[in-house]
Amino acid sequence: MDDIEPAATEEDAAPRAAAGERVVIAAFTASMAAALALAVVYWRGGQAQLEGVLLAISLGGIGVGMVVWAKRFLPSGEITEERGRMASTDDEVASFTHAFEQGEQAIQRRALLLKLLGGAVGALGVAALFPIRSLGPRPGRGLFDTGFRNGTRLMTVDGRSVRPEDLSVGGVVTVWPEGHVGEPDSPTLLVRVDRPELFRRPTRTQWTVEGIVAYSKLCTHTGCPVGLYQSRERLLLCPCHQSTFDVVEGAKPIFGPATRPLPQLPLGLNQAGELVSTGDYREPIGPGFWNRRR
Amino acid sequence: MRSVRSRLGVLCLVALFMSLAGLLPVRSATPATLSQMTEDGRQLYLRGCSSCHGLDGTGTPSGPSLERSGAASAYYYLSTGRMPLADEAQPRRKPPAYSRAQIDLLVDYVASLGSGPAIPEVHLETGDLAEGGVLYRSNCGPCHTAAGIGGALSYGRAAPSVTPADPVEAAAAIRTGPGQMPVFGPEALSDHEVASIVRYIRFLESPPTPGGAALGGAGPIPEGFVAWIFGVGTLVLAVLWIGKLEGGHGRH
Amino acid sequence: MNQPRPATRSRRLARWVDDRLGTAYLATKALRKVFPDHWSFMLGELSLYSFVILVVTGVYLTFFFDPSQAESTYRGSYEAMRGVEMTAAYRSALELSFDVRAGLVMRQIHHWAALLFVATMAVHMARVFFTGAFRRPREINWMVGVTLLILAVFNGFAGYSLLDDQLSGTGLRIGYSIALSVPLVGTWLVSLLFGGEFPGPDIIERLYVIHILLVPAVIAALIGVHMAILLRQKHTQFAGPGRAEGNVVGERVWPTYAAKGLGLFFLTTAVLAALGGLAQINPIWIYGPFDPAEVSAASQPDWYMGWLDGAMRLIPPWEVRAFGYEVPNPFFPGAVLPGVTFALLYLWPFLEARFTGDRSEHHLLDRPRDRPVRTAMGVATIAFYGVLFLAGGGDVLSTTFGVSVNAVFQAFRVLLFVLPAASAWVAYRLCRDLAQRDPAPADDGSVAMTALAGVAEDGRDQDDRAGHDGPEAQGQAVGKHH
Repeated sequence: MDDIEPAATEEDAAPRAAAGERVVIAAFTASMAAALALAVVYWRGGQAQLEGVLLAISLGGIGVGMVVWAKRFLPSGEITEERGRMASTDDEVASFTHAFEQGEQAIQRRALLLKLLGGAVGALGVAALFPIRSLGPRPGRGLFDTGFRNGTRLMTVDGRSVRPEDLSVGGVVTVWPEGHVGEPDSPTLLVRVDRPELFRRPTRTQWTVEGIVAYSKLCTHTGCPVGLYQSRERLLLCPCHQSTFDVVEGAKPIFGPATRPLPQLPLGLNQAGELVSTGDYREPIGPGFWNRRR
Repeated sequence: MRSVRSRLGVLCLVALFMSLAGLLPVRSATPATLSQMTEDGRQLYLRGCSSCHGLDGTGTPSGPSLERSGAASAYYYLSTGRMPLADEAQPRRKPPAYSRAQIDLLVDYVASLGSGPAIPEVHLETGDLAEGGVLYRSNCGPCHTAAGIGGALSYGRAAPSVTPADPVEAAAAIRTGPGQMPVFGPEALSDHEVASIVRYIRFLESPPTPGGAALGGAGPIPEGFVAWIFGVGTLVLAVLWIGKLEGGHGRH
Repeated sequence: MNQPRPATRSRRLARWVDDRLGTAYLATKALRKVFPDHWSFMLGELSLYSFVILVVTGVYLTFFFDPSQAESTYRGSYEAMRGVEMTAAYRSALELSFDVRAGLVMRQIHHWAALLFVATMAVHMARVFFTGAFRRPREINWMVGVTLLILAVFNGFAGYSLLDDQLSGTGLRIGYSIALSVPLVGTWLVSLLFGGEFPGPDIIERLYVIHILLVPAVIAALIGVHMAILLRQKHTQFAGPGRAEGNVVGERVWPTYAAKGLGLFFLTTAVLAALGGLAQINPIWIYGPFDPAEVSAASQPDWYMGWLDGAMRLIPPWEVRAFGYEVPNPFFPGAVLPGVTFALLYLWPFLEARFTGDRSEHHLLDRPRDRPVRTAMGVATIAFYGVLFLAGGGDVLSTTFGVSVNAVFQAFRVLLFVLPAASAWVAYRLCRDLAQRDPAPADDGSVAMTALAGVAEDGRDQDDRAGHDGPEAQGQAVGKHH
């Protein structure tokens, strides 16, 4: 490789060089001072803003100093280097092919052994895939049902049962099946609408109690909790992707990417006047999956 | 933290604040009998509110009935300036249109129209900040955002910022569910829990920002813009400084 | 040889190494390596330096972070969280932020570095794209680069998902739902990834290993490959006096380019330190511990996931049903879109070669104006993903500007197609005008000495190019001669 030597770079005119050197000196000095100050700040208990600024000054000082140094005082001539070609010459390729094929032929003379070796490695590979199964349980009925049964009391997060009169008109509360409070697959939203006469299909009014309707809190799009209730317009909104559900119309989606209504939970009252479910959801709650309807 | 022992205390402080801010002249309430006060309130009501809410407060097509609003709701709407409604799609916080004394008269009058919640008493010192945080994040954060800066609802509605938070106004909002907000009655949140939430809301007014500028509290979106504009911007400037600007396109 | 100098300790050490490894030849080659000097060739370095900083700060964080899902109670110095039940992962992240000295600044530098790692990669990739530096013989390095981009985006997501705050849990939940939406295998996929149904017992500890070990190791290895190929193939350069397909004109690595590069490393670190100290990022103490029944308004991912989140918001409520089975809606924006995006990125060098018929070697770069079709397509792509990114923050934009969320998303649905088309048209016209005013400089053939047959033809090819319209105009395929 025959490089062209760099044109000898002369120092710039003296005053300019002196100014450049002063910049570098200032930058390195500032860096040193900031680094020492940083140590002191840390030692005195630390403070994130000071730490960040001092670190920035000490690193930036080194950076500025080095760049000015390089731009002013290091050789900057342009060098031309020949690129050479990427691909090998035909001779090189031929000699490689020859060398490889010699060995290949020697190996292929024992065709049976080669096939068996392939089989053994393949079998080992297949066997090595099996431990993946240990990573998680077989997807079971969990995606299809929740803890709600006929007569299950609805409990708030602090473990209280709910009576209809506990819920103000225009109020909402999140409940779980008794014994499963806080479980991620069954948060359910009780909504008490101000005008129950507005309920229309597909809301099942026989599943409501005194204007209270229960829907799964998990969005049918990606499962975010649909926790935003617009009480005047009786809309539930999912903040993740803005799917909007109409509470008096069976929580059917009226905007956004959700394709299905929020499943409705059948509600009833027990002897003690507490809200209970009269069964589980009739369909899987939350986001969709391929065999959801099976 | 300021503890509020009575409604009167709050009123005085709010009035003081507003007079300091020069927003309103403060008039002292004239001593009068209850019925006289209600009558004065009715006169104010007829002039300022009846065109929408009806002469007897039962509502018109352009404004809801106030029979179940109660003192709490009237107090919230009037003292945050959300009523009377200006030319706006959704009531917004404004400087109150009425003096403190006029608000008292109106509140008493609206309370006399029917049955509604009284102005809540807030005993901040009974609240627990950390518990308030937990309750805030599960009951308020969904709409108002975890940082309390307010968030979008659907069809042009928005949950406003929870700050600046006067304790009684905040508690009144929780109890009455103004506008699109759901109602949180005493069975859903006890007085103690409301006090905790209000403490946390006041904490959110100026939360500690140990990490530096809070970037509006709006999360990854402003962070992304800062990364691109300040971060990438500065680094590209550095690269422009270090490298050559033209890569050999000599002018011919 | 220079005249011998007195042996210092460092010279003796170098001698000792050389006796055992014979490194002098390679080291000399490295020092004398020539790099073309243009500001845009340093953009990739910014990503490299961000990665170095990510490793350094990340190692510090691992000393204090505990990815465990075990329940515990916070007792640290942040008053508003004291006594709250949370997982050990979230608790240790809080303690790291409030009670470990220099912990918060390290965490913030780490997070800002992650945002800039991907951002500078995107800028670097745009430079390579618009100048045609991905063409033969650099297709392999382009694909290595695309892989690095995917890994960086994934590891960023994995990283902020570890803290187990409300925002990260919401992101994981959406990731879960996308995996669940995959036809036939979705249910198995999430069960194996998460160790069960959401949130699953295992995901954070698994992501931790992936985030701190697996992906960084692969990224480091691929950066090595990326740079080895760069050294082997030598850097591209813009056309100009003295520059030809057959040569490289620039500065030697030693000492000038090395000093500049190292200086840039310190400057990059300085910018990140300033951000880490002055701008708060991911304040997890405001978001609170993750609770699967809760959510906060304005839940957004970090910017490099924003385009996916935007697509999830913009897609109309479609799902496919056939034979009693269904393909849920999140599958299309969550799995198909990134699949198509990255497949197109991987294939771009080959697609372009096929459409232009130009399969020859290129070491001289295009100016964007000289390839108006490619430039227009690149601009349209940026506009498309830019709209998706903004849609990811549609609710925040809605409150910021006081516009209805629904109007914002309807507008974005239109803009998603109109803006790329309009910006492509503008870019195309602009390129044509600029190229007419300022024709492409010819290859300076006088310096192309001892050129090999193919390279020389490429050089002539460059000559032909001046005044042509776009890649499609350059029809002649000049193969390499063997």
